[in-house]
Amino acid sequence: MNKKKQNISAAFRRWLLVLVVIAFLATTAFLWVSQTKISQNNAVSLLKLNISDVREDIIDASDENLLKLTHQIADDLNNAPAITSDLLKELTAKYDVTEINHINADGIIVASTYPDFLNYDMRSGEQSAEFAVLLSGETEYIQSYQPVSYDASIYRKYGGVTLEGGGFVQVGYGAQRFQKDIDEFVVGVTRNRHVGEGGSIIIVDENWNIVSDRYGNEGKNLDVTGLWIDTAETAENQAFVAEVYGKTCYCMHQVTEGYRIVAVMPRSEAALSRNVSVGVTTIMQIIVFAALFILIFVLVKKLVVDNIYKVNDSLSSITQGNLDTVVDVRSHTEFDALSDDINSTVNTLKKYISEAEARIDAELAFAKAIQHSALPSVFPPYPNRKDFDISATMHTAKEVGGDFYDFYFVDDDTLAFLVADVSGKGIPAAMFMMTSKALLKSYAESGMSVEEVFTVANEKLCEGNDAGMFVTAWMGLLNTKTGLITFANAGHNPPLVKHADSSFTYLKSKPGFVLAGMEGIRYRKNEYQLNKGDVIYLYTDGVTEATNENNELYGESRLLDVLCANAGCDTQTICDAVKADVDLFVGEAPQFDDITMLCLRFNGEDDK
Amino acid sequence: MNINKTVNATELTVALEGRLDTATAPALEAELNQSLAGITKLVLDFSALEYLSSAGLRVLLSAQKAMNKQGEMIVKNVNETISEIFEVTGFCDVLTIE
Repeated sequence: MNKKKQNISAAFRRWLLVLVVIAFLATTAFLWVSQTKISQNNAVSLLKLNISDVREDIIDASDENLLKLTHQIADDLNNAPAITSDLLKELTAKYDVTEINHINADGIIVASTYPDFLNYDMRSGEQSAEFAVLLSGETEYIQSYQPVSYDASIYRKYGGVTLEGGGFVQVGYGAQRFQKDIDEFVVGVTRNRHVGEGGSIIIVDENWNIVSDRYGNEGKNLDVTGLWIDTAETAENQAFVAEVYGKTCYCMHQVTEGYRIVAVMPRSEAALSRNVSVGVTTIMQIIVFAALFILIFVLVKKLVVDNIYKVNDSLSSITQGNLDTVVDVRSHTEFDALSDDINSTVNTLKKYISEAEARIDAELAFAKAIQHSALPSVFPPYPNRKDFDISATMHTAKEVGGDFYDFYFVDDDTLAFLVADVSGKGIPAAMFMMTSKALLKSYAESGMSVEEVFTVANEKLCEGNDAGMFVTAWMGLLNTKTGLITFANAGHNPPLVKHADSSFTYLKSKPGFVLAGMEGIRYRKNEYQLNKGDVIYLYTDGVTEATNENNELYGESRLLDVLCANAGCDTQTICDAVKADVDLFVGEAPQFDDITMLCLRFNGEDDK
Repeated sequence: MNINKTVNATELTVALEGRLDTATAPALEAELNQSLAGITKLVLDFSALEYLSSAGLRVLLSAQKAMNKQGEMIVKNVNETISEIFEVTGFCDVLTIE
């Protein structure tokens, strides 16, 4: 119960936000991992590509170098009268190569700088057999730097060119010889080469001395770069991570033509592409997810929450009593059904209410008829009596009321008349009024004096009065011969009497307590002598407390004015005039209290 | 109508403000019904009460009857209009008005 309730849109917003954040983190993490992998692969590809480029350049340069020497030697041999091993030795010294062999058209070495090679069949070794192409149409052939056929521990690069006299000459040398020729070229092709932005190529010779390096450390051992390649651990063309010039780099190495080509690329650079890619994608994602979040939130708010509020507004209008309100939210089938259900519920409710109203109205109309028929309602009531004239009216605020008037003869010369007001209004007051009226009449008709009637009736009314109702009453007994009134007052407002000079004054007396209020009350008798032509006017506070639209009370002075103006009229006219004046004053304002009055004129015996 | 209650041990003071009529009397009746237990002195302060109808009188009467059994009830600061109502209805004889 103490848990604070959230509205739907807030709950939805929160969960949607959680979901979007989770989705965002998941996709970003996935992207990070995949991009890391991709950036590594890209770095490796880049290293491979660069190594391969440099390798091609170096092979091209060394091939060209050897081919040029071989052609020069072939020219010398073509111009020589005969090719002998001695001539070959001379040429070896002249061109500073390691060995020269002359192979005849059958592929047999017929002259060589190495006597051991004589009569060697070129086809008998895998490496040497490659030169057979020179016997079947090719004019020149270059082999890469590799172990030789007759001794695998010796590395050598061979070139061959066909001779005019048939067969071909094969020239070979070691790496140190051709590297002397092409080192400068190698430095040229590698020194300004970049691997990516910050990566570079380092070339070392067979003794790990740097041949070319971006930082000008040629001639020094590879150690100066901080790189240490354990050839047993790291195979060629396989990427590995190492510190180079103080930076963590992806590295790769490959041996070619006696050189070891090392490509390095800072790992941070590889990561940069990943970071940029992840960064850009993250920004895009934030935009997309934010748009999605706003779109879904707005849609839900517009389609669901707003419509619920519309339904609620109609419902609150209905619960405030406006049953004619129709719920009309028709945006979607669900709200269609909801609107229809509410409307049909309200319609059913309206039907029941109107049925109940009709029943209550009928019963109230019946109750009103009973109440009014209990009061004397035929005027003039004693058309043959000229010694007095009496009229009375009652206008209830609701169908039935708590006011009443009454008059009847208790003996031949005594007319009892009274006005009373039960506390409260409506049915409870009406029921209490009927009891009070009947009790007062029965005691009065039994011949009791007026104060005795009140005293006894009070005791009876107090019995079983659990609801705490009470009634104020003013009752008089008129001796129609003498005009003497004996009266008692049980908490009622005093009546007005008209004197010979047409002025009205209050007939004040010390009032007794209200009837049914408290047991053991004794009421006092009072007397007042009416003269011929005098009028006594009894009323309930519904007259003086009638209220107009400005919340003003009708008041005693207006009552006195209208009474004085009509002082000479008959009692019926006086009652009608007062009621008309009150109605005029009240205007459209609703009537709050019952309005009851009784008017009696004493004419005396002479007129009888 | 505003009902302001002040309890001091077994003394309950109820100050009424506004109109005590058919519409507001049930509220006062309910308030008194649940507050009177153990009270030996009930003081009704009418200094800010503007109007009193017969329905209000009925509540005063039942409160008076209840207090007759367990102590006393005093009505104080009664203005002229309401004092007149007490006079006319005879309530001035039943209530203790200061």
